[in-house]
Amino acid sequence: MMNTNPEATEAACVFEAVGLSKDYDDGQVRALRGVNFRILQGEFIAIVGSSGSGKSTLLQMLGALDHPSSGSLLYRGKSLTEYPDLSAYRAHEIGFVFQAFHLLPTFTALENVQIPMFETNRSASERKQRAIELLTLVGLEHRLHHFPSKLSGGERQRVAIARSLANDASVLLADEPTGNLDSENTVLILDLLIRLRREKCFTLVLITHDMSIARQAERILTMKDGSIISDARNHEPAPLK
Amino acid sequence: MTFFTVVIRSLTRRRLRTGLTIVGISIGIAAVVALVGISRGFETSWQAGMNSRGTDVVVSSMGSALTPKPFDASVIDRIKPIPHVAETCSILVELISVESADMMIVSAREWGAFSWRNLKLVAGRLPNDASERAVVLGKTAAEVLKKKPGDTLQLETEELLVSGIVDGGAVVENGSVILSLSLLQEITGNEGRINIIDIRVTPGTTPEELKQVCAQITAAVPETRAVAAGEHIRDSQAYRMISAMSWGTSLLAVLVGVLGVMNTMLMTVFERTHEICVMLAIGWKRNRIVRMILLESALLGFLGGVVGGIIGVVGVKLLVQTPAMKGMLEPDLRPELLLSAVAIAVLVGIFSGLYPAWRSSRLTPSHALQG
Repeated sequence: MMNTNPEATEAACVFEAVGLSKDYDDGQVRALRGVNFRILQGEFIAIVGSSGSGKSTLLQMLGALDHPSSGSLLYRGKSLTEYPDLSAYRAHEIGFVFQAFHLLPTFTALENVQIPMFETNRSASERKQRAIELLTLVGLEHRLHHFPSKLSGGERQRVAIARSLANDASVLLADEPTGNLDSENTVLILDLLIRLRREKCFTLVLITHDMSIARQAERILTMKDGSIISDARNHEPAPLK
Repeated sequence: MTFFTVVIRSLTRRRLRTGLTIVGISIGIAAVVALVGISRGFETSWQAGMNSRGTDVVVSSMGSALTPKPFDASVIDRIKPIPHVAETCSILVELISVESADMMIVSAREWGAFSWRNLKLVAGRLPNDASERAVVLGKTAAEVLKKKPGDTLQLETEELLVSGIVDGGAVVENGSVILSLSLLQEITGNEGRINIIDIRVTPGTTPEELKQVCAQITAAVPETRAVAAGEHIRDSQAYRMISAMSWGTSLLAVLVGVLGVMNTMLMTVFERTHEICVMLAIGWKRNRIVRMILLESALLGFLGGVVGGIIGVVGVKLLVQTPAMKGMLEPDLRPELLLSAVAIAVLVGIFSGLYPAWRSSRLTPSHALQG
């Protein structure tokens, strides 16, 4: 089954996967089974599925954190295998938001946001200024010098979101970004991601197992046993209460 | 925040471990500074002593002991006629325990020879003649032995008068008990035996001619070896042995330092595996991770080098003030030695960080999504 979106055009296509597969343990575990899809510039896509369905593996492929076993994955028409330096792709094109935040514990919020900027030409003062702007954007201007251990879960995730935007990524990959948060912070973080996407026009790929969160996306890919079993447009995104 | 801040932050997160690693390296570097400083000091102190006596050529039979083997004093007759030999001084030098001092230089010189002339009287007088049963003490020796003119000094089985205290112009001279050659020969039962001949050459002798003089003396007295005063200590087997032992011990100490830093950096990499994977996931290049680890280990080495240098210098300064060492040598702690020690420590740090850095560069960013 070909799960491509008929509205996709070559010019607006950010990702195109063709027959994308990933095996582990010499093929004994098939995490992705010949997946096909396209993701357009500026889309908000939720990838849903139960544990082990392959959604995290798919996110790793999109973020070039791992290599596919077969098939191809194109980013803006160019195969990721053709990239001479995937770290540059991760640094400049992709922003990651993890379920467990993954902030560096020995650095303050302000310093954590500056970490990805070391791979740019920004000076130390420019990095700092940019980090202050981003933390202000996520409402943490009063927490600049706090270490992660002194921040709440919601605040940590906001720092992580600011970090993911540090290098003006055009795609933000969020792996269960509200998985470790209470319901109040879940609403806050999702609203923040949606607002930032509108303002900065990045493509948002969000992994969740929670349908109430997925329903806020414009498009929902459902995965099961390493395959995409549905690719549905969501014409009426439902805000979380 | 700069890249260096990132490195510093990594080191300060485990302060105790970082501190202990620095202590480990610093002990190694302190050993290098102390041992090399002492062995070089041995060379320069004896060298200064010879310069102070105005010696141009030293004739001796340097074995593996700290003092040369005695030989027949009559060989002087074969040396005197050699061209460019202006003056000679037969010497019997011993390193023996004198009263409260465990080891002291006892330097017996041919009465009236040039080696007496550099001695400046600080108190008392020189012995009246070769037969007077008296010694003069270098000013440091007098301090160590707590003697003043008029006191007596027990040397082997003899009680001798301390007739005066002198300034010999060099650490070795000032740390010596000085007496006439015939007196020490009698006391130690070495009649007719000496172990060093100091030679002054005629003014204007060129270095080439000096070499020829040495060769002629060695040919004329085959049981000894004549070397220019500048090379005398370096030429001796004892000095070579001390020097080799210094470097050998230093090398072992440095090796311990290497293992310490390597262990710490490996622990750091293992402990920060997830963190390094996150850094890779958010775009850090592998070579930046490698640079970070190497800079951390180099910085550990540098700090260990600085601390070790300070410990080494202070330790040696204290050591040479102990009664057992006082007056024996002046440690040679030139800035070049300290800079070399710090450079060695930095190299140790970088070398020790290579394997951990390589390990860190093999990590895959996908681990960032786990845990």
